[in-house]
Amino acid sequence: MMTIFTCADSFEGILCGVYDAWMSGLGHENVCLELADTGNLRLFAEYRQAEEDPKKAAKVTGAIRKKAGQEVYERVYRASLSCEEQKADRIYRFLVCALRIGPEVVNMLQLPAVYELFRMNRFVANEALHMIEFVRFSRTDGGILFGTVEPRNDVITLMAPHFADRLNAENWIIYDERRRSAVIHRAMGEWIAAELPDDSFREKLMESSDQKEFEDLWRTYHKHIAIAERTNPRCQMSHLPLRFRPHMTEFQEGRA
Amino acid sequence: MFIQQTMDLQEKLAILADAAKYDVACTSSGVERKGRPGQLGSAVYAGLCHSFAADGRCISLLKILYTNQCVYDCKYCINRRSNDVPRAAFTPEEVCRLTMEFYRRNYIEGLFLSSGVLESPDHTMDLLYQTLWKLRNECGFNGYIHLKAIPGADPALIERAGLLADRMSVNLELPTAEGLKKLAPSKDRNRILNPMRQIQRGIAAQRQGLVPYYGEERNAPCRWARQFVPAGQSTQLIVGATPENDYQMLTVAEALYKNYDLKRVFYSAFVRVNDDSLLPALPGGPPLLREHRLYQADWLLRFYGFSAGELLSETQPNFNVLLDPKCDWALRHLELFPVEVMTADYYTLLRVPGIGVRSAKRIAAARRSGRLDFPDLKKMGVVLKRAFCFLTCGGRMMYPVRMNRDFITAQLLGEEKRRAWDIGQKDSYRQMSMFDDGFLNPAPEPEDRYSAALGQL
Repeated sequence: MMTIFTCADSFEGILCGVYDAWMSGLGHENVCLELADTGNLRLFAEYRQAEEDPKKAAKVTGAIRKKAGQEVYERVYRASLSCEEQKADRIYRFLVCALRIGPEVVNMLQLPAVYELFRMNRFVANEALHMIEFVRFSRTDGGILFGTVEPRNDVITLMAPHFADRLNAENWIIYDERRRSAVIHRAMGEWIAAELPDDSFREKLMESSDQKEFEDLWRTYHKHIAIAERTNPRCQMSHLPLRFRPHMTEFQEGRA
Repeated sequence: MFIQQTMDLQEKLAILADAAKYDVACTSSGVERKGRPGQLGSAVYAGLCHSFAADGRCISLLKILYTNQCVYDCKYCINRRSNDVPRAAFTPEEVCRLTMEFYRRNYIEGLFLSSGVLESPDHTMDLLYQTLWKLRNECGFNGYIHLKAIPGADPALIERAGLLADRMSVNLELPTAEGLKKLAPSKDRNRILNPMRQIQRGIAAQRQGLVPYYGEERNAPCRWARQFVPAGQSTQLIVGATPENDYQMLTVAEALYKNYDLKRVFYSAFVRVNDDSLLPALPGGPPLLREHRLYQADWLLRFYGFSAGELLSETQPNFNVLLDPKCDWALRHLELFPVEVMTADYYTLLRVPGIGVRSAKRIAAARRSGRLDFPDLKKMGVVLKRAFCFLTCGGRMMYPVRMNRDFITAQLLGEEKRRAWDIGQKDSYRQMSMFDDGFLNPAPEPEDRYSAALGQL
């Protein structure tokens, strides 16, 4: 009978699930990892809750780093940010291969477990890059740059280092509307990740914003830089899908 | 036209963005630079695209002219002297403010600054230099800057400006000297090539550590040691304004890559903005498909190890309308195919239609640890629809394929498109026969042309 370990939807939670499933001694083919609260239960299976414990997670990360290297570790981290429901089990299957084979496992796309992780990792990394390109800040009177995003995967922690370097002298916040979480950076300081379940602060921030001047200038620029003879909405759509546009200044209506 | 003194920034930006949009270079690639504490900006080697305009072109840099007033009268240019268009000019402060505020809000990756020639090339180049100096030293801007070198400007000015910019470019515009003489009578090919050569030498000197040092001077380009044009130089060719064929365009591009160490050659489909008897009429709009094919071939030159002579020749001087240049090449060289995925070297894999740089690298890495089959190739990003005719996995092809041109061409094009192919390219790949069905084929539908232009073949 299948034993299913449920774990929390976080990097650490998944690693604890991996630890419990692995150390249960039931054999890899008899265990399965699932995220808690997915709502769907199987009939002929035993459910066990993986207990979260930083020590367990540390043991797993230590093993990954030692046997499979930093590259594999980073890929597993990015995959853990994925929006896919089966990510926990996919990470488990991948780690079974990775700890056996070592660092060169990342090239073995012919193995299904490796390919699935490669795919999740690529989706997350590509979306993080898109969000870095497409996030738009508006500036409040207090000089805080505030950007809202709505990514499918939980990528704001991947965006933060880029902006911490680029806008190091600015105060900025990137807010993930879907997960109600944010990364916050203080000028010349460090960045932190935070859960912000109450989003009333946004209205407060936005009411003092902004110098609409530059938003209007940007819309003007965006309109005028296109060559009318070459108009090609399908090409525009494939590069910049509609789902990104609600939060982008140039696709929002101006002040009339 | 009288220049309004009271024009606001909004109007100026509209005019000067309109004036700059026909320049196609808008990449922010070629240099990796970390942020500096207290300054604004960094640079990413691969470049970032922050938005896409309604024509589907990426917006990476704030692409503007400093002024659209110009002493020249080039036939193809919207800003030529004899055109009656509203004219405007920024001040250095306005350019700095726009760049800084746009950059801060993550609208742009940097500045692309070009200009019409105001009074003289030296005067214009000096204005551009002053603007960049202010932006770098007073505003503390550390992002990407692409600067146009004005042909005919003092080499000393270009050298100093090069220390502030990341990429510089001089537009060749027309591939041959005759074309340039006809359409841009006041420009001279040598005056374009000279600054290009100068920038090339500057970059080479940089590599050997021979950078002039201005550190002590008051108006020195930069207070810290900066590199000279670290992201390299580029240029632009206009496609379809003069009767040059694709082969000529591509050989010019190849020569530029070889002799001038250019990072990029950009191709700009000619848009007929001026009504001039010397310009070609383009009833079908700008030659977008031709531009597309040239870009495809350009990639083959730079990343796939092809040479211009392999893709085109005097006898076949233009690209195939229906097939991309790589498929076209492969069909003319069927003796080299099929190749075996497990043993072919990287450069041979790169030449297979449907395999790109990334998938070739993935294949080369993955096959070390085990056998690959066609479904595995698909996972690695190989486009099997094109590649299956040219590949074997473990000695087997995916489907039985006859290695002859007609069969494979039909596979690549699909039966539907084959009809259009027969009409446009009659006799190119097979002999006519008494019973040829050529005359029974219908003419290409408007939809066919449309999808050909969009590249959905």
